Amino acid sequence: MNSLDEFKDELETCFGTSCGFCERGCPVYQAVKIKTLCMKGRNRTMLGLLQGKFEITPAVVEAAFECTMCGNCDRWCALKNTEHTRAFREYLLKHGYEPMKEHASLAASIKNYGNPWFQPRSARNRWTKGLNIPKAAPGQQEVLFFAGCTSAVNKALVPGLVASAKLLQKAGIRFATMNQDEPCCGSTLLRIGQTEAYEELAKKNVERFESLGIKRIVTACPGCYVTLKKSIEDRGSEIQVVHIAQEVAHLVKEGKIPVTKSTERVTYHDPCHLGRLGGVFEEPRTIVSAAADLVEMPNNRYESRCCGAGAGLQSAFPKLSKELAAKRVAEAKATGATTIVTSCPFCETQLQTVPGIRVVDLMELLLNATEDREENGKINPGA
Amino acid sequence: MSYADELVAALGKEKVRLDPAERFVYGADWSPRTPSEFFPPDVVILPRSTRDIQRVVQIAYQHEVPVTAGGGLTGMLGGAVPIYGGIYIDTTVMNQVVEIDQRNQTIRVQAGATLQEVNDAVLPYDLWLPHQPESKWVSTVGSAIACDNDSTFGVRYGKILNCLLSAEIVTGTGEILELGHRKAHFTSSGYKLKDLLAGSEGTLGIITEATLKLEPIPRTRRVDMLVFPRLGAAVDYLNRLLKDGLCIEAAHINCKRRLKFYTSTYRSKHGHDPTIPAWAEALLAISFAGDPEVVEFQRGHALKVAKEFEAQLVEERDIVDSWWASKYTLEFEPFKQKWPDSQRLKKFGAADPGVPVGRLEEYYHKFVESAERHQLEIIGMNAYLEHPNSIGFSLSCAVFVDYRSEDEVKRFREFHDELSKLAVAFEGTMSTYMSDTYQKAPYLEVEHGASLKYMKKVKELFDPKGILNPGKKFGRRDRI
Repeated sequence: MNSLDEFKDELETCFGTSCGFCERGCPVYQAVKIKTLCMKGRNRTMLGLLQGKFEITPAVVEAAFECTMCGNCDRWCALKNTEHTRAFREYLLKHGYEPMKEHASLAASIKNYGNPWFQPRSARNRWTKGLNIPKAAPGQQEVLFFAGCTSAVNKALVPGLVASAKLLQKAGIRFATMNQDEPCCGSTLLRIGQTEAYEELAKKNVERFESLGIKRIVTACPGCYVTLKKSIEDRGSEIQVVHIAQEVAHLVKEGKIPVTKSTERVTYHDPCHLGRLGGVFEEPRTIVSAAADLVEMPNNRYESRCCGAGAGLQSAFPKLSKELAAKRVAEAKATGATTIVTSCPFCETQLQTVPGIRVVDLMELLLNATEDREENGKINPGA
Repeated sequence: MSYADELVAALGKEKVRLDPAERFVYGADWSPRTPSEFFPPDVVILPRSTRDIQRVVQIAYQHEVPVTAGGGLTGMLGGAVPIYGGIYIDTTVMNQVVEIDQRNQTIRVQAGATLQEVNDAVLPYDLWLPHQPESKWVSTVGSAIACDNDSTFGVRYGKILNCLLSAEIVTGTGEILELGHRKAHFTSSGYKLKDLLAGSEGTLGIITEATLKLEPIPRTRRVDMLVFPRLGAAVDYLNRLLKDGLCIEAAHINCKRRLKFYTSTYRSKHGHDPTIPAWAEALLAISFAGDPEVVEFQRGHALKVAKEFEAQLVEERDIVDSWWASKYTLEFEPFKQKWPDSQRLKKFGAADPGVPVGRLEEYYHKFVESAERHQLEIIGMNAYLEHPNSIGFSLSCAVFVDYRSEDEVKRFREFHDELSKLAVAFEGTMSTYMSDTYQKAPYLEVEHGASLKYMKKVKELFDPKGILNPGKKFGRRDRI
């Protein structure tokens, strides 16, 4: 059975249903209006391929890869559409289709450097400088802070990691990091259809976490969050995986992280992997509301619109990706907010490409509000 | 030069799609058909303007190539499926708002705008387009007109034709015409050619823009459900409410079987089907909307009168809310939705006849008998009141169809045809919201008799070469 056959019944159910409710919230379809690029059309394309109605054509490849896998189609459906898309990509690769050159580069970088950014493994460690965080060793710690590659190797994103670590330290949480030994979580491989490579990596990762005696992993990146959770759950491990927003929100609620609220009007952008795909909506809002004046965009929580960075769209279809970011920023500006707060390094960098509004990491916002308090309540809205 | 080459030369590659995968997805709609029953067009056009469509039709006219225009492809009987291939025009690309006239409560839109997009656009003005089928997220203005589909709020506002003031079309020769009466609500001048568009299925012209009448958004709405011992009792009750002068916003009579189809939200919350009294044979969902005081008065009167008809109010709000979510608000539980959830093994299929109001029960029994004889699992019957302030209804006689089985699809089509013809014998009509398509085309004379030849003459005037959506309403061989 190939990867698409597994979903044949679901593809036929979509054909039988044909409601097209997935079109309304699909950011790519709404931008390009090409039917093969929304889920109903993509499901039909897969069905046609399975039926041998046509060969793999350029439009088939676009149908598979011109998607952010944001999960908006799943929100309006009972089918696992995002899984279909992942299987579609895998199917094309298995049937001799060469990965898009941009995606092939990502896979090669992960293999050689443990991250898709062509950065040496040592880069993974730089952000911890001066923070006095112990390195994970067998039996020495229960909580592992998993920084993720994107923030760790990108200087502009390092403050978010530093803020996360400082907040955990303030609350008295004992944790370790894996420093330069921190592996790739496998998210990118999974999204671009390199399923075998992902499975191999996931197996190794879970074995490493188990051997270190980790009980809970706190991730900074939503992509790491859903991917590690999947890797661990698929293998029956009992290690708990939480996102930093979940870890910190209850510390704020319990008063373990005292916060001074500013009057700044901010809006919160739900990262797809944390929100729709991870089910974490309220914890980030607890934090934002404690630190600033939260105003919602019309499309929030389950209906949040993708920033356009996900699932290889940013690398393979940069123009479209930027168009999606511009739409999301326009929605944010229309609320009257001066800042977009988010909790994903991909969303943060992607939204920052559109001028006219400040984009801040959730943990930076909180740390700033905490430090303001420490400075006798002095308000400093600019992080 | 082939017509495809001419199209590329006229419109550019971006608007002319020839890749087999891109064409394939347009080959089927929502109607019961086997997964291999796709009719892909030979060329797909993604137009941006009326001029683009005019150019396409002009080229098609020269080459005598079929042209089928479509919207969300949620038709229930194959209306926009290009069964003879040729050119498919995806109108959903044309979804721009041309003008919102707040003072005169009208909107001018390109025909590819979905009904929901229209309502999103006019919401800031406290206005709405009350033509609301369940497919409103995907159903476009053009396809709502061309199919003449149904609306939740028909008993107060009617269907799309009651909202349609004017429409721009491209005829089968490529001529651009405006049909209608601008922003006036009605006219006594000339022939009402605009009205021909409702249910025309794109066989007279391709609708490219429309001016629609909007309504003020009611301040409040109350939805209730009542059970009756008979379907006929619900009809009599509604007649009484209209006689008493109530302004009903929505009224849907369901047979008891049908409730199950609409209550997936209830099932996921409670883990079982909703229960209604064993004696109840009919469920009436009814809404009133407007000023809260007026709504409460009307509702109070309706509930008081209900006792005279042996009706009982459904007190469990979850049943009512679940039905309403399924029908109108579409606020599904995330990752769940009734359509795919309920159709994993079989899909929804229906006949859409209309019968005189006094013969509803008699027809219902015929529906059940026909479905059983064709060995089709019954979903149930719905009677939607769809004519302003009158008891006239459209019927949805629904069954589950195992669409993977050629034999069952064939039996479904026989069932559909039988009920359609039977409705005429009942002094009714074969279709009330799905139109004729290719399915009813072979026996359209049963309904229209000698007048069918006049319809063919009308078709000839608008589309002399018979290139627009061939095979629909009239067999292709009948083209003029």
